[in-house]
Amino acid sequence: MSMQRNFLIFLIFILMSMPTFAEEELVVVVNGNNPIEQMTRSEVIDLFMGKYVAFPDGNKAIAVDLTSEHKTKKIFYQRLVGRSLASINAYWSRIRFTGRAKPPIKKESKEGVVQYVATTKNAISYIPKSMLNEKLKVVYQLNE
Amino acid sequence: MNKNGLVIRLAIIVIFAASAVGFLATQVFYRITYLNELSLSKDKIEQLHTTVSSTTSIATYLEDEELVTEVVNGLVSNDIVKSVEIKTKSLSVSSKQHEKAVDSIEFQLYSPFEAERSVGSLTITPDLLHIEKRAQEISFDNSLAIFIQASIVTIIIIIVAYTVITQPILTIERRLHNIVPGTNERVETPNHHNKSEIGSLVVDINSLLDKTENQLEQERNLRDEVERLSKHFRTLFEKSTSSIILTEPKGNILLYNEAFASLLKRLNLPLKKSYGPYLKELFLEQHQLNNLVEIAFGNEEIASGEFKLVNKATDEAVWVQTIVTSSIAEDYKEHYQITLHDISKRKLQIDKLDKKASTDELTKLLNRRGAEQKINSLIQSETQFALVLLDLNKFKPINDIYGHEAGDDILIHVASQLTKGLRHRDILSRWGGDEFIIVLPNLPQAELTEITLKIKEHIEAPLYIPAQNISLSVSASMGGTFFPDDQLTLKAIIENADKAMYWSKEKQRINDDHFFSLYQDLLKNMDKN
Repeated sequence: MSMQRNFLIFLIFILMSMPTFAEEELVVVVNGNNPIEQMTRSEVIDLFMGKYVAFPDGNKAIAVDLTSEHKTKKIFYQRLVGRSLASINAYWSRIRFTGRAKPPIKKESKEGVVQYVATTKNAISYIPKSMLNEKLKVVYQLNE
Repeated sequence: MNKNGLVIRLAIIVIFAASAVGFLATQVFYRITYLNELSLSKDKIEQLHTTVSSTTSIATYLEDEELVTEVVNGLVSNDIVKSVEIKTKSLSVSSKQHEKAVDSIEFQLYSPFEAERSVGSLTITPDLLHIEKRAQEISFDNSLAIFIQASIVTIIIIIVAYTVITQPILTIERRLHNIVPGTNERVETPNHHNKSEIGSLVVDINSLLDKTENQLEQERNLRDEVERLSKHFRTLFEKSTSSIILTEPKGNILLYNEAFASLLKRLNLPLKKSYGPYLKELFLEQHQLNNLVEIAFGNEEIASGEFKLVNKATDEAVWVQTIVTSSIAEDYKEHYQITLHDISKRKLQIDKLDKKASTDELTKLLNRRGAEQKINSLIQSETQFALVLLDLNKFKPINDIYGHEAGDDILIHVASQLTKGLRHRDILSRWGGDEFIIVLPNLPQAELTEITLKIKEHIEAPLYIPAQNISLSVSASMGGTFFPDDQLTLKAIIENADKAMYWSKEKQRINDDHFFSLYQDLLKNMDKN
């Protein structure tokens, strides 16, 4: 309980100290041809944190991430699981040797991400809402 | 050291008490330690869980068997953990011998990314045996500590008790042991005990010794006094010339002095344990002695009298003044104290004097005084007797003509002649001048006349007087009377005999044959006239 409260206080602190991030709206997108229409937050988390490598309907999923220098990545993880990038990196480094889970593939730019998802049927990634096009389908909206 | 000594007792009690308390404390410690360890182990398990929670959470979230197994192995390597099991929706990994027990602690596991999302459970069973062992180890250490502490305390108590209590008591005891009661020796107070119980004990002991000394001193003085007195008494008793004998009422002799022993020796009598009451057997006149004592004791008086003792050594009469006193001793026993004072010599002297006083010097017959005594005793004992008063005729002329010496010779001659005709028990006396009295006890009255005739014949036998070269012969007149027939008193009897004698003298002038008259006949003759 106390951890949850601390976490809440921490969250409020972050939101107040970085008002610029709040302005960018992020969406989780898939290829327009992907039959999946909507995903829950847990389903999104499971794909990005390596638990599953398939969509809930059973089709193979390829999670696509940005490299760490992007602010968007930081915001994405912050919004999705409430963790910093350092924490996410630590997670991956912990399971890298023993675990069978694999981190998402990485793209150098947001444009690269858009390009990849638009051309790969099984891909899933996140982009600022402003970068949406018709080849992409929003399956989850990340709220502030 | 004395096995019942204070220190040993104290040591035994302290050791027992320490052992008992130690044992109980150990048991309680063990229980408390065990419970502590148990709850501690729960805390530790929770800590363990916290430590591994992020890894566990990740492993279960990913349902990665390798990761989960690693976590399980990591947990089970803890010595307080017996077994571990992690369950997820599709996976169940457990350590060897896993079995869910009452003590097992179950933790719900949540996704590292979503706090609300349960991803499985972790069950840890604590190793009770290990906890128990640990508790035992801890309580053993505690027991050892208690044992060491108890041992040290016991040793200190024993040392302190020995130096503070036993040592001073032993000192007092040794001192007291060597003290002779009644002397001025005292017990010294041990060091640093002036105000302790031992100090007051010493004070009490010394005051008791004071009292004892005083008492013994008094007793010693008293004993000296008694000894001195008893020495005097013994001297009095032992050196007494009178025999002193203490007997029981039945006659058993309790005590006698040397004088008594030598008296018995003198009498040639054996020394016996008893001579009967008041030494009766020693006396010739036992009956009189008995009467005397009974009467005296009846009147609560001292019995005193003069008695003759049995004498087996000589014919000599041994007279003793006998005093018998009854006394009640302190133990309420009655004792007779008998004193025998030898009065034989005095008695002999008195007898001699008496005899001298009663004897006529010339004729060696009884004189008037002696005769009176004898007659009186006959009267007292109411013995019948005949009394004859004899008066010589014409004696005065013999004195005048032939001189007093011739007269005396005649009187001696008459006396011896009278003696010849009489029995041993008869009393013959010279009443005075030329008068003689003859008393014949228990004589039949009829025989008297015949006896007087014999007497007349005897005294009329002539006496040759060489100085004068002549033979002289005297006649006599006699008067007789009887007791108790005629008179009852000596005086009256003599008067009667005198009267009868004078009557004879009158009649003799006419006829010499009437030399003797009875008073009874005189009375009859007077009645006739």
